[in-house]
Amino acid sequence: MTVLILTCEDDVTADMVVVHLNASGVPVVRLDPADLTGSAALSGEYVHGSFRGHLSSGGRLVSINGLRSVWVRRPGTAATRAAEPSEWLTEESSQALYGMLRSSQARWMNHPDAARRARHKPWQLRLAQRSGLPVPATLITTFPQAAREFAERYPDLVVKPVSGAHPQDPPRAVPTSRVAPDADFGAVAYGPTLLQRRIAKRADIRLTVVGERMLAARKSTAADPDEVDVRFASPTHPWQATEVPPRVADAVRAYLRGAELAYGAFDFAEDADGTWWFLECNQSGQFGFVEVETGQPIAHTIAEWLARPVPGEGAQVNGANTALT
Amino acid sequence: MQPFALNYARPAAQSESTTPYVYDSGRQLNVLSDGRIAAHDLALLRELGTTTSTAGSKTHFDD
Repeated sequence: MTVLILTCEDDVTADMVVVHLNASGVPVVRLDPADLTGSAALSGEYVHGSFRGHLSSGGRLVSINGLRSVWVRRPGTAATRAAEPSEWLTEESSQALYGMLRSSQARWMNHPDAARRARHKPWQLRLAQRSGLPVPATLITTFPQAAREFAERYPDLVVKPVSGAHPQDPPRAVPTSRVAPDADFGAVAYGPTLLQRRIAKRADIRLTVVGERMLAARKSTAADPDEVDVRFASPTHPWQATEVPPRVADAVRAYLRGAELAYGAFDFAEDADGTWWFLECNQSGQFGFVEVETGQPIAHTIAEWLARPVPGEGAQVNGANTALT
Repeated sequence: MQPFALNYARPAAQSESTTPYVYDSGRQLNVLSDGRIAAHDLALLRELGTTTSTAGSKTHFDD
């Protein structure tokens, strides 16, 4: 039984997992959907009431029914490296690939349906509330007056993209930013705006959850209160492993059950009282930088999860014990 | 007519630097010029920042 990894070639973070799978003898096929109709190919037939499908990538051939797990890491857009790419070909290729993969009994990290839903930040906020995680007061609006009234109630605000995406024409980044006290909210009318009470944080928390295992890292915050976004903050403090408070762990488990995710990278802001405030959960969040700094075995844990037998399968697979060492 | 959030936009970080490894389809891993596996060189990964959570990525917004 094979682990299928959907990702691009230069995803060196995926490599961190592949080396563990290789060491344990678990077969791996790495495929970038962007390579479809080029160096990647697919075929599936529905005959006599059964389905048989195959994928090939880089000269490797794998049966879709022989997959134990699918890791959706950083896949390229289907068929974009085809000889004659087009939107139509992308849609055709995407439907063929993901449609057939959905027919398999493999376990997903993460299932495309769950992943698509989990990317919605507003949905994340509500699920976090329902799961018992503290969520900073937040407003998403196109009403300037609503923004003004929210700013009166919560004078210290940050603004960030609703989607988490960034404009590309021209390429720009929109970090989480502190809103000036005298801000003119008139432009709120021109796009949904996410305003959130700024947490006076003493640390950023990145909690990486793989299946049932939680690996938390903590990074003390710079003294400058305007450095809100850890991705842009001065790199003065390293990430260090930390423990997850039991109440947070329970709530995170509830969140992942509700989201139907096998993997999630949670961002929290830790305030002066030690409360972890939920900011977001990235269903495919990066983990390499945490492992590199803390030494936490995240890649190994992912490899273990991916290597688990599918339900009903014995522990001995392809004649080899799949337990990772 | 610019949305409010874009008042806080800044130029995206350029990542034009080339990485010192290339993908080896036979091994399904990125390897350095001396044949070593890039993922084994944690100091290099830290230096390059290629495993880091970023903002402004063109193709991925799950950081």
